[in-house]
Amino acid sequence: MPRPKQRMVTFSIDGREVQAPENIMLVDGAKYGDVEIPVFCYEPKLGAPVGACRMCLVEIEGIPKLQTACSTPVKDGMVVHTQTERVRVAQEAVVEFLLINHPLDCPVCDKGGECPLQDISFGWGGGRSRFIEPKRHFVKPLALSPLIAIDRERCILCYRCVRFSQEISEDYQLVLEERGAASYVATFDGHPYVAPFSGNITEICPVGALTSQPYRFRARPWDIEGSGSVCTLCPSQCNVNFTVRDERVLRVLGRDNHDVDDGWLCDKGRFAYQAVHVDERVTRPMVRDGGVLRAVSWERALSEAAAGLGRARGRVGAVVGGETTNEEGFLLQRIVRDALESRDIDSRVAGSPSLELQRALAAPALQATVADLEFAHAVLLLDCEPVDDAPILDLRLRKGVRRRGVRLAIASSRPSSLDANARLRTRFAPGTGEALLGALDAALGVAGGDSGRRDDVGRLAQAAGSDADSVGALAELLSMAGEDVVILYGERLVSGPRADHAAKALLNVAGRLNLTGGREGAGLLCVPAGTNGRGLAEVGVLPHAGPGLAEPALGGRDAAAIAAGAAGGELTALYLLHVDPVRDMPGRERWVAALDSATTVVAHADFLTEGIREHATVVFPAESYAEKDGTVTHPDGRLQRLRPAIAHQGETRSEWAVLAELSRRLGLDLGVLTGPTVTAQLAEAVPFYAGITHDEIGGLGVRWQAREAVTGFPGGFELGPFDLEAPPDAPATDDARFALGTFRSVWAATEVEVSPALKFLHPRQRAELSPVDAARLNVLEGERVIVGANGTSVSATVALRDAMPAGSVFLQSAIPEDSASMLDGPLVEVRKA
Amino acid sequence: MTDLLLFKNIDEPDLHTLEVYERRGGYRSLRKALGMPREDVLAELDASAIRGRGGAGFAMGKKASFLPKGAMDKYLVCNADESEPGTFKDRELMQKSPHMLIEGMIIAAYVIGATRAFIYIRGEYDFQASRLEAAVEEAREAGYLGEGILGSDHDLTLWVHRGAGAYICGEETALLDSLEGKRGNPRLKPPFPANQGLYQGPTLINNVETLATVPAIVEMGGAEYAKIGSPGSTGTKLVSVSGNVTNPGNFEIELGIPSRELIYDLAGGPPDGREVKFWFPGGSSSPVLTKDDLDLAYDFDTMAKAGSMLGSGAIIVVDDSNSVVDVALKTAKFYRHESCGKCTPCREGTNWTVKMLQRIKSGEATPMDLDIMASVQDRIIGNCLCVLGDAMAMPIGSMIAKFREEFEAYIEEARARNDALTTDEAPPEALIQGAAA
Amino acid sequence: MAIDPTRVPRFGHGSRVPGWDDAADLTKDPSGVPDPATTPVPESLRARIEAHMAKYPDRRSAAIPALYEVQNDYGWCTPEGVEQAACVMRLTPGYLIAVATFYDMLFTHPVGTHQVWVCTNISCSLCGADELYERFREEVGDDPAFNLRSFECLGACDIAPMASIDGAYVGPIALDEVPTAVEQIRTGQEVLPDKQLSRRKSVDPKASEQ
Repeated sequence: MPRPKQRMVTFSIDGREVQAPENIMLVDGAKYGDVEIPVFCYEPKLGAPVGACRMCLVEIEGIPKLQTACSTPVKDGMVVHTQTERVRVAQEAVVEFLLINHPLDCPVCDKGGECPLQDISFGWGGGRSRFIEPKRHFVKPLALSPLIAIDRERCILCYRCVRFSQEISEDYQLVLEERGAASYVATFDGHPYVAPFSGNITEICPVGALTSQPYRFRARPWDIEGSGSVCTLCPSQCNVNFTVRDERVLRVLGRDNHDVDDGWLCDKGRFAYQAVHVDERVTRPMVRDGGVLRAVSWERALSEAAAGLGRARGRVGAVVGGETTNEEGFLLQRIVRDALESRDIDSRVAGSPSLELQRALAAPALQATVADLEFAHAVLLLDCEPVDDAPILDLRLRKGVRRRGVRLAIASSRPSSLDANARLRTRFAPGTGEALLGALDAALGVAGGDSGRRDDVGRLAQAAGSDADSVGALAELLSMAGEDVVILYGERLVSGPRADHAAKALLNVAGRLNLTGGREGAGLLCVPAGTNGRGLAEVGVLPHAGPGLAEPALGGRDAAAIAAGAAGGELTALYLLHVDPVRDMPGRERWVAALDSATTVVAHADFLTEGIREHATVVFPAESYAEKDGTVTHPDGRLQRLRPAIAHQGETRSEWAVLAELSRRLGLDLGVLTGPTVTAQLAEAVPFYAGITHDEIGGLGVRWQAREAVTGFPGGFELGPFDLEAPPDAPATDDARFALGTFRSVWAATEVEVSPALKFLHPRQRAELSPVDAARLNVLEGERVIVGANGTSVSATVALRDAMPAGSVFLQSAIPEDSASMLDGPLVEVRKA
Repeated sequence: MTDLLLFKNIDEPDLHTLEVYERRGGYRSLRKALGMPREDVLAELDASAIRGRGGAGFAMGKKASFLPKGAMDKYLVCNADESEPGTFKDRELMQKSPHMLIEGMIIAAYVIGATRAFIYIRGEYDFQASRLEAAVEEAREAGYLGEGILGSDHDLTLWVHRGAGAYICGEETALLDSLEGKRGNPRLKPPFPANQGLYQGPTLINNVETLATVPAIVEMGGAEYAKIGSPGSTGTKLVSVSGNVTNPGNFEIELGIPSRELIYDLAGGPPDGREVKFWFPGGSSSPVLTKDDLDLAYDFDTMAKAGSMLGSGAIIVVDDSNSVVDVALKTAKFYRHESCGKCTPCREGTNWTVKMLQRIKSGEATPMDLDIMASVQDRIIGNCLCVLGDAMAMPIGSMIAKFREEFEAYIEEARARNDALTTDEAPPEALIQGAAA
Repeated sequence: MAIDPTRVPRFGHGSRVPGWDDAADLTKDPSGVPDPATTPVPESLRARIEAHMAKYPDRRSAAIPALYEVQNDYGWCTPEGVEQAACVMRLTPGYLIAVATFYDMLFTHPVGTHQVWVCTNISCSLCGADELYERFREEVGDDPAFNLRSFECLGACDIAPMASIDGAYVGPIALDEVPTAVEQIRTGQEVLPDKQLSRRKSVDPKASEQ
């Protein structure tokens, strides 16, 4: 639905005329007149105000009682007083009441120095206490979870944390128990509060009651500096503020950006900074010597890499991981294409549609933004699980549904954590997204009056393992909801051998919903598999696209073909930029073979995961995201800037400089002397990034679709409608064979594995089964099963899920042991271990 | 004095059954109301000028008229969470004449166009809740509830919802939260329930007695009803009298009679010839009045003018054998126990007040503490989210104001008692806790 | 998993369950909405909770009724029972425990089967309720079959001092009637039949004239 329009009103505060947007709360309106009204419980991010703490009492003419400024909307002509004796006494009273049971242990409190209670006591308190009764004392601190400590003495019962749990993350694990003065924040029966977004409560707590376990007692506010940057651990690209002390990142806080993260962070983003400083991190160049990697000088590493790559000229394949910046990706594709005279470079894990379709899907006219998810009439979540794929979008979707009445429809193979928020859930067999899109296309046609397609709906729905009724209901919801429809889909939907067909079907659906006409507030939003998936594609890190999605001189192999090429001896050197294909990519065995066969494997890595440890011949230490300088592109086209927060750790060097040096040694001087020169080069090479600078990107980023240079977006593509060919049927399951679905957990990341605080969340393989199938297999929750196909098998713990469609089994990929990438689907056998 | 309206036939055997209730004219008003346009029934309620019997005393007809017109999900909720200390009138009505309430609710729901109604009854009233549930079932079978009631276009489902023991749920917005299955925390107002109440829909909330009076108003006509009582306090009112009286119980009176008549003539006055020391005129939340106020007329406006309130119509009489400190401590402890904890002044203020009163009792207070205590009450009043904080601060404040000398004497006496203890004795418990802390 | 019923202390600060001083048990899994596949619910409990849910436009309204059903089946709101109710209602157990701990009549720790609640609020205490409560304590002793507690105003000040005994209001109770009352509770008889509120006539002179 359209965003509410804001009208300015004039009101008076403390004798001054102030203009502010109508209906914002007085607390916020007062800021327009430079008046600060103290608050504890009020936090606009948490939704409707509750007026609980009573700190913001002010006098409004015409209303006999003092009013809470946090819950009173600004109205035209309102006359407000915040400095009268009545207000002063009331505010002082609230501070006095709050301090009754507060321990005032500020000298040993982590919050001391950055504590709203301290500030407000100083600013609005009476400076003395008349409370001479003994204060309450409790054991403290206590673990609320491995990540969060709770100090109940300090708690002022402002409700912020429980409101977060109940209304933002909606996990409803953190609650208030008991009542009155005996109330306290707790969980059910002593269960830990472990949830994907739990860390946010430490940031919104206005006192030192909830503190981050990893940060406790690491620094005082006057020891630290804040440094704004972007988290590159997932495609959400949340804006963060690193807390730095003595060149070490000690904490990550959110940096509110409504267009990106809405001010929240997931726990991976908040706590995985520990990986920056762990001993396991590679901080020196390494070279394989006598079968093992040994630390060497930069000179040796660079010369060995240059020599190895030089020998393989024309036969080099490069795979680029999602955490690579635009600049690094751009430089590497130049090295591969220009210095090494090769053509095989890819940044997508499972292939991509043709260049024309790639352009169509990335076309500015079709592009929805993150904020659109919140204001759309309807959102279709398609083959994407936000909490794993881009966690912060999960919160945005919840917000849209809860506060703006967005109709959410989910089409997925695996039950989603958002199922309970959705109006409609459609399940399809793993890997049959194309058929489902075809069915939806036909059903939207039927809804639009083309009754001739009625039979297609049933046939295609069946091919997707669904049925005509549920696809029909989905079509009805989407076509009736309103004009602003956003389709949020996962990259895998338009991957694989039939990527072109799926892309065409998706464009047809978009066309049916009138999303191809450039309507604001509606469109497509793709969640790439890698953090900077969109940016890497746009700067030319695709086998069939150069910078700016231009046609390259020569098309190359995609990632799977690179593996095959290396295994077959056609490629003799591999360049792995921030990726360990053995762990991160499908077809684990193929990659092991490929890396075995390649004579030179140059990797940029921060950890020696299996593929790197066993196969790399040269390892350059990768910068952590806290050290990087460069840009990334958000899934909705927002260019964002990474700024170095700390100095390079160990012997780590800027990777753009490493790439430039390597290129020089390979005979191509890229003319790069500083980080910004690379940005300038790629701004020149990508027409629709033209003229972009770090300054323009600034702190909040800029969407290239919103700049004039958008006209540089290449033409030569169609938006449909396309004639679709019949998709293959879903593989038939039977009693012995299950359809294999895979997913990558948000916790399946090396950073999680090595962070002491997060380690406990690092996943192990589990087989998600429906209770019906489990009964048939005679296995119980927690028992072990073997899942196998084509002679390979993995072992997994059974996790029963009531909502799981029978006949499917879901396994995790991208984990070190028993990864689903070892299995070739689509059918697998499951048996009791 | 007019005839009884609510307590008419109240002790007739089996009045709680549909058969006897109908025999006594029950559900005639419903038939009459359903034969009238909604607006006309509302006009009768308005004309009756009946003020809500739950405590706030807001005109019922006016409240009903605040609800938006038109087709939407609207709700009627009967507040049967009678928890105000001293109040037990609704209990007797629901127990003995449940159909009168149900009939009143069906009419009220018709007036506002609600199709769902709930009776939120406090969980402790187990027997009364069972009676209501049985009566609702009878009414449903007889066609008074359900679809197309008595051939009209009025539909209504009615459920009895039992609370689970929380005074705060008598506050209308806390009641709504509780009925929605949440903790019973009061909500910010505005929005008021008439606009956004139960499940965010327009909601009319009325007390049991108010709704139970509706059939009588419909039967006799609003104007006729308004002739009973005094102008600002029309109608008959059930008054619960308890505490130090020889004949405690509920009395149906015409508002405006002298308070003395209620306390002495009807309730028998304090036992054993003792004298009234002070009394709560409207439940434990009302500022206390003294024996000098006994001749005031018992109605909404006079009580308000005297600095107190009629509240739920519950008189608690305290005679001169009791210490004001004990009553104050009981009162404060009650509100500390019942504070929901949502807003700061109430949560902390009730707790602090109890601690100060305990110190007075244990002889560790000085007269200065009385000033602090009075100031704390002042700082609670008007600053809370709902009225619970005020409900403690007002009576405690009034006790300090009116019995300051007694408080001071008590403090001195208790201190003297403490001083008499030799210093070898163990220090008071509170100090041990303090030291351990 | 379950709280050991014998080891539930009461705290001086008034909290009825341990909580303030308890850390989370880090060996437990987080407690989300229980999955029906792994949370067996007795059929009768499920049916009753679902019947309550059907009465309301929003299923959460059935929270208190559902907790009463759990309490009815298990004697108190046991962690397992709360998980079962949460599973039926598609809520987290945390949601329900937040509700349960808010209300006085929902027990989050084990209690005796006989509920004896003596009102000790203002009116009753003016009529000797504190003494009555003490008398009951002496008489009941440490009999685990009793859940004797002082209660805030039960809304029966006309029969002060009174008690709610297994749901039935009884009063005024004289101190010397307490042994009989306790014996009657123990043996399952009606307690002090002539003091039962259910039989009490109105004291309004005009009502009794009729």
